[in-house]
Amino acid sequence: MKRIAGRTLYTLLVLFLASVAVFYAIRLSGGDATAARLVASATAEDREAFRELLGLNEPIHQQYFTYMGRLLSGDLGVSLTNSSDIFKMLTFHGRNSLILGVTAFTLVFAVGIPLGILAARKRNTWVDGAVMTFSIGGMAVPNFWLALLAIWLFASVWGLLPSAGCCSPRQLIMPAFVLALEGIALTVRMTRSAMLENLESDHVRTLRAGGLSEARVVNKHVLRASFIPIISLMGLRIGQIVGYALVVETIFGWPGLGQVLVNAVLRRDYPVAQFFSLVLVAIVVAGNWAADIGYSLANPRLRKT
Amino acid sequence: MRHNKLLLVGLALGVIVLIAGVLGPQFTGQDYATQNFQNVNQPPLSEGHLFGTDSLGRDLATRTFVGIRVSLIVAAGVTLMSMVAGIVIGMVAGFLGGWIDRSIRGAVDFVWGFPLILVAVLFAAGFGEGLFPVILAVGLVNTAAIARVVRGEVLALKEREFIEAAHAGGLSTFRIMWRHAFPNILGPALVLTSYYVAVAIIAESALSFIGLGAQPPLPSLGQMVADGRNFLRLNHWAATIPGLAIVMMVLSVSLIGDGLRDVFDPRLRHEAKGVDD
Repeated sequence: MKRIAGRTLYTLLVLFLASVAVFYAIRLSGGDATAARLVASATAEDREAFRELLGLNEPIHQQYFTYMGRLLSGDLGVSLTNSSDIFKMLTFHGRNSLILGVTAFTLVFAVGIPLGILAARKRNTWVDGAVMTFSIGGMAVPNFWLALLAIWLFASVWGLLPSAGCCSPRQLIMPAFVLALEGIALTVRMTRSAMLENLESDHVRTLRAGGLSEARVVNKHVLRASFIPIISLMGLRIGQIVGYALVVETIFGWPGLGQVLVNAVLRRDYPVAQFFSLVLVAIVVAGNWAADIGYSLANPRLRKT
Repeated sequence: MRHNKLLLVGLALGVIVLIAGVLGPQFTGQDYATQNFQNVNQPPLSEGHLFGTDSLGRDLATRTFVGIRVSLIVAAGVTLMSMVAGIVIGMVAGFLGGWIDRSIRGAVDFVWGFPLILVAVLFAAGFGEGLFPVILAVGLVNTAAIARVVRGEVLALKEREFIEAAHAGGLSTFRIMWRHAFPNILGPALVLTSYYVAVAIIAESALSFIGLGAQPPLPSLGQMVADGRNFLRLNHWAATIPGLAIVMMVLSVSLIGDGLRDVFDPRLRHEAKGVDD
């Protein structure tokens, strides 16, 4: 319990520091904010007035507190490029990202763990070889290139799936698999090596010697011990999926949080960039926290501390 | 045994990539930015163009080779930065201990907790697009990753007799770090670094793909894949060839890393980011 409380406090501190860092990073580029909204012929006075209007001329720490106050009251203003309400953007894009992220997250473990177990149990056979080749390949192929190959084959050549768009199940298939692939590859490796380590461990040998059936040894004891590293992997995967979503959503034209952030950065739409980078950072920090807590709960050695 | 074979494959791929990046542009003798609208979207092996041309009639081979060069430069910059800084920071934290260790570990864990691509996008938001923020972001995250491992190695080394003996012999901490600990850390650090070279190559190409990395007309493999995606039906080679180049580079470093791991430190084989046995 103490450990959990400690980690939670630490997480809150990280969240605060990260929000300050992100805030400063985005405000550094505040000089360009006028380029997003004003026409090129705007005079220096116009630009100055615009900066004043946005509150960009105040000291940064003051801007930070003003911003956080407005964040809590739910009033974040509008996008500089298309005037949409930023909070409304959050609900729309957040929902889309949630669909994609949860599907990819589920795929990572629903596909990765069984494949890893299969490879470990069929160690040194062609099955193991095929699974591990897939795993090495999955980590070497950059996901955006895989995405293009998939679009080219499944959409252009065979016409089986739509190449982009949101959010029907058919449109979800390609982005979800591309987003999940690296995680699947990593999970396969982790599961396999954790299984192998436990299959050869002393306590498993003792269980076997005690006459337990192989199925029971594997299902009850080996799997449970192997889940500890996988659980901490799960939390870290949330962060990785957020990172890759920035790329995958952009490729598949999936209107999620990542795509919004990338477009806002490219167009120097700083209020949008500001808010959505804070959102993504918060998701990542929460994922790391969940990984920590899950790890503490799953690991009997840490449970009591 | 199997690893030695894979190491050789990795080295061979690495040599091919190096030659392509260093000598390739001279070999084709063309300019990467020259456009020719009479001759767009040509398939490979068309007249005068080994890999064909892209949608603006630029020579794909030259662009791919220059793109490889850009990737190599970014990877070298990131690797140099993260390896030197990571080893120094990790060794200082591990050796000095106390509040220095605690604050370094706090900072390192903080950075390491964030996904690379997100950090890079935030850097691009702050500094503007280009290769510089990409190198800085990837270098920063990789530094944290290397420092973590080096610190752990140092803590283990500190318990060993020969370091204790050096302390007992009255050597200065700096001398022990440099002459006795550093050579023992270099092996694991190299193995780890080779893994992060792959990370750097993928990150740079991914960021260039979404438009935040290398800016035109300078070609980068990721950006070439992005350009090619609009012409997949006409000439998919403009996207698939640079993509293949990235895969070759990444495979090469990964295989070399796996091989080095076996040579330097068999203990690391079961590590989380590790490899089958």
